[in-house]
Amino acid sequence: MYDSAMPPRSKPLRSGGFNKNTSSIFDPLAGQIHNSEGYGATLGKIDHGVTENPYERRFSPYDFNGGTCVAIAGSDYAVIAADTRLSSGYEILSRDMSKLHTLTDKCILGSAGCKTDVDQLRSVLDIKMKMYHHNHRKTMTTPAVAQMLGNTLYYKRFFPYYAFNVFGGIDEEGKGAVYSYDAIGSFERTPVTATGSGQAYIIPLLDNVIAHRNRLDEKRDLLKEEVVEIVKDAFISCGERDIYTGDKVEIAVITKDGIEKTYFDLKAD
Amino acid sequence: MMTDFVVSSPPCVTIGNDILDIGSRKARRQRGDPMEMLPSASAMIGAPGQFDLPAVANPAMYCRSHFASVCGTGDENQSVKFAKGTTTLAFKFQGGVIVSVDSRSTMGAYISSGTVKKVIEINPFLLGTMAGGAADCSFWERNLGMECRLYQLRNGRRISVAAASKLLANVMSSYRGYGLSMGTMIAGWDEKGPQLYYVDDDGTRLKGKMFSVGSGSTYAYGILDTHYREDMTIEEAIDLGKRAIYHAAHRDAASGGINNLYHMTKDGFVKVHSIDVNDMHYEFADERANAMAT
Repeated sequence: MYDSAMPPRSKPLRSGGFNKNTSSIFDPLAGQIHNSEGYGATLGKIDHGVTENPYERRFSPYDFNGGTCVAIAGSDYAVIAADTRLSSGYEILSRDMSKLHTLTDKCILGSAGCKTDVDQLRSVLDIKMKMYHHNHRKTMTTPAVAQMLGNTLYYKRFFPYYAFNVFGGIDEEGKGAVYSYDAIGSFERTPVTATGSGQAYIIPLLDNVIAHRNRLDEKRDLLKEEVVEIVKDAFISCGERDIYTGDKVEIAVITKDGIEKTYFDLKAD
Repeated sequence: MMTDFVVSSPPCVTIGNDILDIGSRKARRQRGDPMEMLPSASAMIGAPGQFDLPAVANPAMYCRSHFASVCGTGDENQSVKFAKGTTTLAFKFQGGVIVSVDSRSTMGAYISSGTVKKVIEINPFLLGTMAGGAADCSFWERNLGMECRLYQLRNGRRISVAAASKLLANVMSSYRGYGLSMGTMIAGWDEKGPQLYYVDDDGTRLKGKMFSVGSGSTYAYGILDTHYREDMTIEEAIDLGKRAIYHAAHRDAASGGINNLYHMTKDGFVKVHSIDVNDMHYEFADERANAMAT
């Protein structure tokens, strides 16, 4: 059984093979076709080493489709927001692709990363939640979904879902609950979280303004309307500095009365 | 002239060069054990205990190079970076076991959290710490908690710390070479008294009186080795655990946040304190200034 990482056996270079004393790195004629017609005859026939030399094929299953997701927990609400841009490399594939997925009427999953893995993860979670409902005759609670998501991600520990998730909802006591995840399911309940390409731009702002870190004034509970305005500002700034974030922000506010979604336009550049 | 020695391979396929592979998952798969065959995509949704593997010739090597949970900046070149944990310590003394940890979690150079709970409360008499890959530690220690509870239900008594640490070490052994990263200490109080074991992602399991695990462990060892005594009082022991984490957090970039300290007694564990390392800095600075003044 061959090792997939090993390159195929190399063919000798046309200029003369292994046996020469001169190193082919410094050999100016390496890869060129020698004939007696002089320098001009080699133009257009120079081999740049691609077809002759070995190169390694790699199995690369992931693509990064960009975007940023944010979630904030309040005293009796949770706000979860994500931009709607889908990109691949330098191309924008869609300006209107939602990163939020409603799991129950009390919780929403936001995911950035590789869209195909995100879609598969959402399907798997939906199936598991439906099975839970059939087995237990009730909907899963938000902390239970959080744990299930962590486990689902870890079951793919050796071939991970390239999905960076934030999960927000209302817990059994009516308080906002937000959980942040890494790619293989390590999770933690936090007051504020952001993930995706714009994570490093947004999180310091939210840490200071909402989680009240490194501030000397007195902390106060923010209303959900204030938090939504802060989120809009955060995405505007993030869109200015991150190429993968922009177009529109989808903002969902979860309270015990249900989920309200609004859209906010960003620059489309 | 050399005669060729031809060795016919035995009917069971050779395991490999490492004697430690005997009984491992790799060996079982090569033997064609149906439990270990790579599962087809349709079958495995929601089934615990079966892990998908990438469809390459050597999945262990692929996982090790692309999905390894290495410490420090070792995963800078990987496309998928995972959250890591860092300085943890535990020591036994006359009054039980002290377990003291920091709370920083890093993904490459990004601090993904400053409030991670690195002590996992497996049951009221067993604590596990987390260092290395955050997901690896929390998943397998939660799994250990489940196994301990099943043991208790089946056998009518609490599991011993030695057995609990052995269960974890065996799991780590069977996933050896796949890029898991976990350095944990299992601390508990059972019929033999206070116990402390260190369990590693390569299956190492050591019984001891004092351990420190993580990128900041060298700094913690310096403080622990200097001031540790078997006959410390509980207050002295708590102070030692606190100081050791402070010094590690001060000098190690990948450690910091909050010091969570637990004390394991014969009646179970007690969470002693949760102090921000930054506050400790000013407390110790004041102490030094006062000591110089007198």
